[in-house]
Amino acid sequence: MHWIFEFVVKNRSICSLVFTIVLSLWMISGSPEFQAKTARLLTVTIFYPLQVTFNNATHIKNIFSENRRLNQEVATLNTELSRLREMAAENERLRGLIGLSNEFTYSLIPVRVIARDPSAESKGIVVNAGRRDGVQMWMPLVGEKGIVGKVIQVMNGVSMVQLIKDPSNRTSIMSRRSRTVSILETENGNNFFFRCRSHEDVQVGDTIVTSGLGGIYPKGLDVGQVKRITDSQNPLFKRVWVELSVDFDHLEELFVMLLSPQWQSFRAEFDSLEFPK
Amino acid sequence: MLKNIFKWAGLFVLAFVLQTTLVPSISIFQFRPDLLMLVLFALALKAGVIPAVYIGFFLGLAQDLYSPSILGQNALSKTIAGFFAGLFNEKLVRIDPIFKAVLLLLMFLLNDSVYLIVQMVKTGGSMQGIGMELITATLPRALYSLLLGMIPILWENYSQATVRR
Repeated sequence: MHWIFEFVVKNRSICSLVFTIVLSLWMISGSPEFQAKTARLLTVTIFYPLQVTFNNATHIKNIFSENRRLNQEVATLNTELSRLREMAAENERLRGLIGLSNEFTYSLIPVRVIARDPSAESKGIVVNAGRRDGVQMWMPLVGEKGIVGKVIQVMNGVSMVQLIKDPSNRTSIMSRRSRTVSILETENGNNFFFRCRSHEDVQVGDTIVTSGLGGIYPKGLDVGQVKRITDSQNPLFKRVWVELSVDFDHLEELFVMLLSPQWQSFRAEFDSLEFPK
Repeated sequence: MLKNIFKWAGLFVLAFVLQTTLVPSISIFQFRPDLLMLVLFALALKAGVIPAVYIGFFLGLAQDLYSPSILGQNALSKTIAGFFAGLFNEKLVRIDPIFKAVLLLLMFLLNDSVYLIVQMVKTGGSMQGIGMELITATLPRALYSLLLGMIPILWENYSQATVRR
């Protein structure tokens, strides 16, 4: 037995050749069924694992390209998702506005804010409706939560709106509960207040609405809520601080109320007055 | 050792991939170079008989399994061709490029002769047919392969000469 081993080691080249030739001839000499069976066996035992390894190696390369593709897809889907979320939010806001338009008996023109005053106070906005849509000067603008401002300039397709937070703006208001009437003021466009006599019944939490006086805003539109009450320098008056219900930093869809100022009808009459010389 | 194994495995994989993808597009009159034979030839010259015999056997077996031929036919022919080329191991004998070219041609002829003989035995045929097949199919294929194979051979020869100088 030992000499066989020694012979094989000494003549390993010839032995390798003979071994492989014998193997090949054994396969060649087999019947077609035997060959098919052997081929299947070899494929499954030797070549299939190699093929799987090779496929896995190529699959790793595919993983990188797939990762790149998926990243692109994620970016695209994120953009789409953002767009759909935006649409959903807009839908929600529009639903609120539809509810609002049903509450009012006035005709309303839906408008969209297309520009805003770039200053820090942001006293005005521009909306996408103008003369051709029926918008006129002094028409009030309302949002889902209350009054926003009034039209101060009308062009053909757009209108400029003065917001009620403009310090030069004065709005006649009243307490819904106690009917105390006053003028809404602000010094900086952020903190709003009105003055009233000390004995007037105004409490924190009272809802403040438009009074209808002044002729521009109709009566009863939401303005805000009483936040706190402080003493004024004049002991006969007190200062009532109001938190506005409208968020002026996020104005998007609004309504122009097709409502001419109440004093419009008197105006011609006043103009026609002739004073004695 | 391990590095060599990976190098040769990589070469065979590359040759296999090129053989199935690029080579069909560079065929001339339906004659295609055989890159796998070229790599087997290179391996035989560099590594000797034993690796050439076993690699030739497995390479042929793989071809048998992936093509509808007689099982063992390619294994046998590639084994013998590998053995033949392996006898001229560069570690033992010094051979010039022209001799390498002749060797490569002989290797192709030997490989195809064995292949065709097996086919003749199994399916019937004549020796004349084998001769015709060797002249009309094997020789052009071998020459085309030789044309490609001479590029690395000459390059190797040139780089060795430069180093010697």
